[in-house]
Amino acid sequence: MTVKEIFDAVLAFDEATVTGKTQAELDGGTDIDAILNDGLISAMDEVGERFSSGELFVPEMLMAAQAMKAGLAILKPHLSAGQSQSKGVVVIGTVKGDLHDIGKNLVSMMMEGAGFEVVDLGVDVESEAFVKTAAEKNAQVIALSALLTTTMPSMESTVKAVKEAGMATRTIIGGAPVTQAFADQIGADGYSADAPGAVKLVKELVA
Amino acid sequence: MMINRAIINFDKSILDQIHNRSLELLQDCGIRFPSEKALEVFRSKGFRANGQTVYFEEKAIIDALGTVPAQFTIKARNPEKSICIGGGDYMMAPGYGPPFIIETTGEKRDATLEDVHKFCKLVQTSKCLDFNSSIVVQPNDVPTETAHLDILLGTILLTDKPLMGSTSSEVAALDSLRLAEKIWGNTNDPVMISLVDSLSPLQYADESVESLMVYAKAGQPVVVHSACSLGTTGPITIAGSLVISNATTLAGICLSQLLNPGTPIVYGLGGSPTEMRTGGYVNASPEDAKHTAIVTALARYYGIPCRSQGALTESFCLDYQAGMESAMMMTTAALSGVDVSLHTCGTYGSMLAMSFEKFIADEDLCGSLKKLIKPVEFSEEAFAMDLIKELGTSGNYLMQNHTMKRCRTAFFEPVLSTRAIHIKWQQMELREMDKRAGKILADRLSSYEKPDIDPMLERDLVRYVEQRKGV
Ligand code: B12
Repeated sequence: MTVKEIFDAVLAFDEATVTGKTQAELDGGTDIDAILNDGLISAMDEVGERFSSGELFVPEMLMAAQAMKAGLAILKPHLSAGQSQSKGVVVIGTVKGDLHDIGKNLVSMMMEGAGFEVVDLGVDVESEAFVKTAAEKNAQVIALSALLTTTMPSMESTVKAVKEAGMATRTIIGGAPVTQAFADQIGADGYSADAPGAVKLVKELVA
Repeated sequence: MMINRAIINFDKSILDQIHNRSLELLQDCGIRFPSEKALEVFRSKGFRANGQTVYFEEKAIIDALGTVPAQFTIKARNPEKSICIGGGDYMMAPGYGPPFIIETTGEKRDATLEDVHKFCKLVQTSKCLDFNSSIVVQPNDVPTETAHLDILLGTILLTDKPLMGSTSSEVAALDSLRLAEKIWGNTNDPVMISLVDSLSPLQYADESVESLMVYAKAGQPVVVHSACSLGTTGPITIAGSLVISNATTLAGICLSQLLNPGTPIVYGLGGSPTEMRTGGYVNASPEDAKHTAIVTALARYYGIPCRSQGALTESFCLDYQAGMESAMMMTTAALSGVDVSLHTCGTYGSMLAMSFEKFIADEDLCGSLKKLIKPVEFSEEAFAMDLIKELGTSGNYLMQNHTMKRCRTAFFEPVLSTRAIHIKWQQMELREMDKRAGKILADRLSSYEKPDIDPMLERDLVRYVEQRKGV
């Protein structure tokens, strides 16, 4: 048995094997860092790359993420404070007035898969809710989604509210009608046209 | 021999199954209506509800379907342009909802009120479009809260074809009715149609439901439409998608009939693939088209008119892909017997943008399809027996009266497509389709004439809009 098998099982979307092997490695006394980094996390990095290149389909990517998280759950009680399993906290939601959530859910799931702790506030979310939750959860990033040109102004007011609250939390925005130019205009810290790009963006922002 | 063509091969037993399974969902899962006003109606009629979820018994659905008219007429400001929906003709409206314009350069820009007005002029002068859209594009240069007023006023003044009312909020729906009232007075006759989309899966947005309620109470026709992204907001299989969307649409229809039995309804279901490599939404595909075919059969099963998507494409320019996808979507609708299509002219990439040039090209497609579905004439004259016998093998039909009389009307004449011989085509100044479309567009706009309107009425309409906008 090796950590490589855990890596392979994540790439095979095989949750049962991931949890089985993770438990076995843990019981066998393998270094937890090795299981975490070389097994689970590097597998998800590989999944992310294969997804971005178009090799993996969305449901496959999501199943891999789920398998990875199941493995992580086994390690969790054994992780020391320094081995925090989360890369950072992201608060995500679709802005006020907007009920579209397909893209937002995708971004949210991919971020989770990439190892971030994601707090999903759902749809039709008020500025205050973003600010409040981000403060409570000590989030590094607030991610806003909008699919209607008519609700894009809610992004502006949310970004403004974050700034007015004097928080260090960074804001990123996305959704079909949103552009980099709009992000610049409202002073958001980042924009991406798709979910893999959103993950890359968050990685850069929390680095 | 039975022809096993996927899209036409469903017998009644399949439709029964879809229907019965939809009823099962309506009874077991219910539909979520996040509107106190809607919940009140359901409660007062004795429906079982749990929180915002309402459950429907078979009888309620059957009763509702029983009061939906099989056909109805929407009045136009110009009575000659009133349209009958459900009477066998195929009624078409242009793009609906896109916030952007894509130019021939490939550049994307925000749509404006001026674009709305240009499209209205094209609708008015269109030979194939039968009614207006309520958001032919979403203008970005006027305040969102009152954009529906600007659009509707422009549409009323620049065209005399039937109107679509706004469903962006209850207030917008009421505004639409107020404007209609100025033209037709207080009437229960259908004078505008509107589109209510459900929020897949198995729910409605509050503003959609409340708009639906406004129109139903006023006896105004509503297109009740549900669609899911296959594999994302609904099952990846067409059978599953049909059941989930049918259940949702039936619940909306039921609400309309509870409020006002006999409210004219256009039944709509759709379903679009998820681009499985990205999670993106695809709106022009064989799967979409298959939905159109089956949905038409379901509408016939229920005895009510139906709606389908129109000339949709994922392309961003006037290329083979745009033509191919638009033609597949529209041809399926036309041959299936759809009563109404929205988005029939001008739409690009996933319904996010409109194009003036594509609008002109789609008109050729729509026009040719209207010709295609027109019944072939089998009269004595049309058989032309005498003439055939007279000319025998020697015939020169070109020189006959029979031909002469019909030479200007017998065939569909495309406006944009070329039928020139190769040498002529080579010599053409504007060889590319989008450039030719641009020329036609310019001619159409410059020859446009505003339809007559009583100046008093015009002032009245303008005043209402100004007051509402606080000008
Ligand atoms: C599906 C859909 C719906 C579904 C939504 C179901 C759901 N649960 O989400 C339903 C039918 C309910 C619906 C309703 C409405 N819709 Co709608 N809808 C769409 C449609 C067809 C697809 C959207 C989608 O899911 N795409 C797939 C996902 C994966 O893509 P995405 O959301 O863009 O997300 C990707 C990226 O943008 C990015 N991303 C997304 N969020 C974020 C966030 C961050 C931080 C980052 C970095 C990146 C990022 O990553 C994602 C993955 O790659 C679009 C057309 C379109 N092509 O966009 C219209 C569209 C957006 N809708 C439109 C309209 C008008 C409406 C309605 C108002 C219609 C009505 N009259 O009722 C209502 C509005 C309800 C409301 N208040 O929100 C218009 C918008 C026009 C405008 N003014 O902007 C569009 C363009 C269609 C049209 N032409 O009419 N809609």
